[in-house]
Amino acid sequence: MAIDTTPRTVATPAPVTRIPPLAPRTRSIERPSVVATAVLIVGAVYCLFPILWVVMASTKSGGELFSTFTLAPSTHFLDNLTQLSAYRDGLFWRWMLNTALYAGVGGVLSTYVSALSGYVIAKFTFPGKKTVFSILLMGVLVPGVILAIPQYLLFAQFNLTNTYWAVLLPQIISPYGIYLARIYAAASVPNDIIEAARTEGAREMYVFHRIALPMMGPGLVTIFLFQFVAIWNNFMLPYIMLGSDSLFPLTVGLNGLLNQGASTPALYTLVITGALLSVIPLVLIFLVLQRYWRVDLAAGAVKA
Amino acid sequence: MTTLAREDARRSRSARRSRIAVPYLMLAPGIVLFVLFMAAPILYTLVLSFQKTKVSGLGLGSGSRSTVFAGFENYVAALDPDFVASVLRVLLYGLILVPTMLLLALLFALLLDSKRSRATSFSRVAIFLPYAVPAVISSLLWGFLYLPAVSPIYWVLERLGIDAPEILSNQLVIFAIANIALWGGVGFNMIVMYTSLRAVPSDIYEAARIDGATEFQIAMRIKIPIITPALIMTALFSMVATLQVFAEPTTLRPLTNSLSTSWTPLMKVYRDAFTRDDIGSAAASSIVIALATILISFVFLRVVQRRAFGQED
Amino acid sequence: MRALTRFAAVATIAAVALGATGCSTTPADTGPVELNYWAWAPNLDKVVDIWNESHPDIQVTVNKQDGGDPAITKLLTAIKAGSGAPDLIQAEYQKIPTLVSSDALLDISDTLDASVKDEFSEGTWNAVTLGGDAVYAIPQDSGPMMFYYRADIFKDLGITVPTTWDEYAEAARTVHEADSKSYLGTFSANDAGWFAGLSQQAGASWWGVDGDAWSVDIDQEPTQKVADYWGGLVEEGVIDNKPMYTPEWNAGLNDGSQVGWLSAVWGPGVLAGNAPDTAGKWEAALLPQWTAGDNANGNWGGSTTAVTTQSDHAEAAVEFATWLNTDPEAVKALADISGIYPAATDAASAALTDPPEFISNQADFYDVAAQASDGVSSFTYGPDVNVAFSAYNDEFAKAADAKTKSAFLEAVTKMQTITVEDMKKTGFTVK
Repeated sequence: MAIDTTPRTVATPAPVTRIPPLAPRTRSIERPSVVATAVLIVGAVYCLFPILWVVMASTKSGGELFSTFTLAPSTHFLDNLTQLSAYRDGLFWRWMLNTALYAGVGGVLSTYVSALSGYVIAKFTFPGKKTVFSILLMGVLVPGVILAIPQYLLFAQFNLTNTYWAVLLPQIISPYGIYLARIYAAASVPNDIIEAARTEGAREMYVFHRIALPMMGPGLVTIFLFQFVAIWNNFMLPYIMLGSDSLFPLTVGLNGLLNQGASTPALYTLVITGALLSVIPLVLIFLVLQRYWRVDLAAGAVKA
Repeated sequence: MTTLAREDARRSRSARRSRIAVPYLMLAPGIVLFVLFMAAPILYTLVLSFQKTKVSGLGLGSGSRSTVFAGFENYVAALDPDFVASVLRVLLYGLILVPTMLLLALLFALLLDSKRSRATSFSRVAIFLPYAVPAVISSLLWGFLYLPAVSPIYWVLERLGIDAPEILSNQLVIFAIANIALWGGVGFNMIVMYTSLRAVPSDIYEAARIDGATEFQIAMRIKIPIITPALIMTALFSMVATLQVFAEPTTLRPLTNSLSTSWTPLMKVYRDAFTRDDIGSAAASSIVIALATILISFVFLRVVQRRAFGQED
Repeated sequence: MRALTRFAAVATIAAVALGATGCSTTPADTGPVELNYWAWAPNLDKVVDIWNESHPDIQVTVNKQDGGDPAITKLLTAIKAGSGAPDLIQAEYQKIPTLVSSDALLDISDTLDASVKDEFSEGTWNAVTLGGDAVYAIPQDSGPMMFYYRADIFKDLGITVPTTWDEYAEAARTVHEADSKSYLGTFSANDAGWFAGLSQQAGASWWGVDGDAWSVDIDQEPTQKVADYWGGLVEEGVIDNKPMYTPEWNAGLNDGSQVGWLSAVWGPGVLAGNAPDTAGKWEAALLPQWTAGDNANGNWGGSTTAVTTQSDHAEAAVEFATWLNTDPEAVKALADISGIYPAATDAASAALTDPPEFISNQADFYDVAAQASDGVSSFTYGPDVNVAFSAYNDEFAKAADAKTKSAFLEAVTKMQTITVEDMKKTGFTVK
């Protein structure tokens, strides 16, 4: 195929301000402010207090939970843990796995779709672009509760309710993720590199996969984290879609332990122990990935 | 026209076509998913809002129920005093929660960014941690902390001789719920603002420092204006989330007499749809809420439009 | 071109062949029949295991649901959607009219053995037939109400067990005067079934059927009487006004500030779960009566096993449901393993001899229960029970908060209005 040598009008890339590397903050020069540190610590303590409470409460047995000072630790954590694991033959751990599946797989798929859509909107000019983007963004304004029943009825048409798909598929589309991806794509993928690749004959998806995605790296981690947490903590959608408790995520499962009906006691100790355990994976992920967390909404608007 | 020119014309036509086709093809997954899981359900909700169930006779046995067109009946019924009260309540709730949350988030973000703060890594993680707790769980935890009989807070206050009011009482329950949302949300908003701040190159501040500006002045005059887009976006998303408050009051409701089943608009939607089996009414209320949210968001954005979207087309 | 036509031909033949196999579903069950059962009775799967072992041709899987409402809501949604419903569902008595009117429950009168009816009391059987010839469910357990009290505290305060409501009020005053933090009980605005049972005892039936029309009778004299009584006690301050089943209430059970509990026969199970350290300190008695010497009672809770209209194996499902609720071995398992009070009267009395462990100090517990069960009067549920119950939650929460008798009476009236309006809106004829 002859090389296309007709002079093309190359769109001059708008001056894109890349996200600058995090400016190092040297601390040794300034004297520490007691007030500033104190305020931060008060905030931190307030945020940690209920978590501390859960840790203490999960060491109590059923009888102790309602009869002793709830911040005083007891010795029954292992008992509670055993009871929780024994509940219906380890159903809790099944819930944990389910949640990891929904959030992990859903997060990855969602990140990919968001990245692709955000990249296209940021880097291409085509008619209807603004409309498409605005409509996509309006999705943020619709609460999940409202979508739940129609989504259920839709899935029921295809006999897909009470399956893993019923919880995975609706959570792949994330308007907020697309919004973030657009910003990252605009900020971290220079147009000239794209043009250079095009000139060399690269196809668009190749450009996306081999060039844009790696450059959007840290931003992608942010989008993934955001969607991962959103799916992990989602209650409404799995609650409506799922009938068998072997498919439940942690939120629905733990809520069910509390709602056993009037004639059965609510399993408070199990719920509390379960709640504690359910928070740990998320905390670990935060700690490990926190250096990638960049939710920089001002990118592109910063003028030196 | 020469052959070459015709070739050029054809090539540029197909180039133009592919310039339109390619982006849409690449957008296809996103668009298809959006249509399937957002647009279609919303349209279906709209259709449902104009329907209602009619029964004949005793309504028992098959065939006694049918769905009929209801006109605007559901919308008229949706706007009853109960619903209006819940909307006003949620607006008040928003007024209490959103400024407090954003101010705290901003304060923490600025403090984290300041050179003179210590224990920043610890604080940053600690304040962000509540975001990892789902609303249903956090409401349960705070429920324990709010009920005087089991709460360590009340226990301590009692020992200190302070007769603290019950936070789940009628007058204070709105603060009880706002607190849970605040606890869970400050961290996220703080991180958004903080990373926005961190993206600012520090030489901007150097000039100001050389001129003798204090940290506080730098914060007020330079930092805040620079991250205004981030402030606006967090404000918008917080407002939208606030209008949709549902999980916290629903979880707390069985614990106290102060919350009704329609305390917030979304609770009413849930009650209509699931408890009262009145899908038409729930759908109509949902549409009303969605329209109101969109309206408020548009008004808000129009007011601050330029600053939010900066240099983007 | 040619390739295309050939392809189209193959495709058409394939489609027709697939369609044909799809159409000719043989009704005969080949291989073990798999039944899906939505239920929440504790440890029910262990009871079902007994069936599964002896019936390899009909295998039942229990899918544990959230208690009560959520399961029914999911069922109704599945029925509306046309798929996703289980074969069997645990349905509380008050939900049956709603389910029947949504075409969720199968009429099993043609497949059901005629002798099943004799296993249950008349009132119970009425609740599953709605007074007609159709049978919509098989009763599983019932919840005759009983009064539980801390025998040790009664002894300390010198209180004798109240047998009338006047005596109950006196006992409440004694308890509260001795310790201002203690209450003989609480008025729970969150438990509509509890209040319905108390009203039932006073002679109420919140709905009625008259030919082709319904009547709503919530604001009739019996319920007014009950609301007036409790409103008075709450206003006086001798009865607590906080909901049951909260951490606070649990704490009260543990530390003795909740001295009594108006509950049902399944009460010991709940107490054992929430206040295990108080085992052996409670005793059970009949509910206090409005007229001395009477034995009137109400029901709180209790459910049935029903077959849904989406089940493909109705016969197998009916066979299982019959076994579960009438077979002596099954009934005993239900009582022992699931801790419920079976509705099959003869099988129950054979199975239930020793008192539950939590209340082992009272040897005649099940005798009291049987007497309580005898006194249960009939109560008709309407098609919008959920609306009425949710109205109860909202209106009585306000009343309990206000702590005045008039607020309680107003709540009853509002419940009536809301329930009637909802039925009229849906098109029911309401007298």
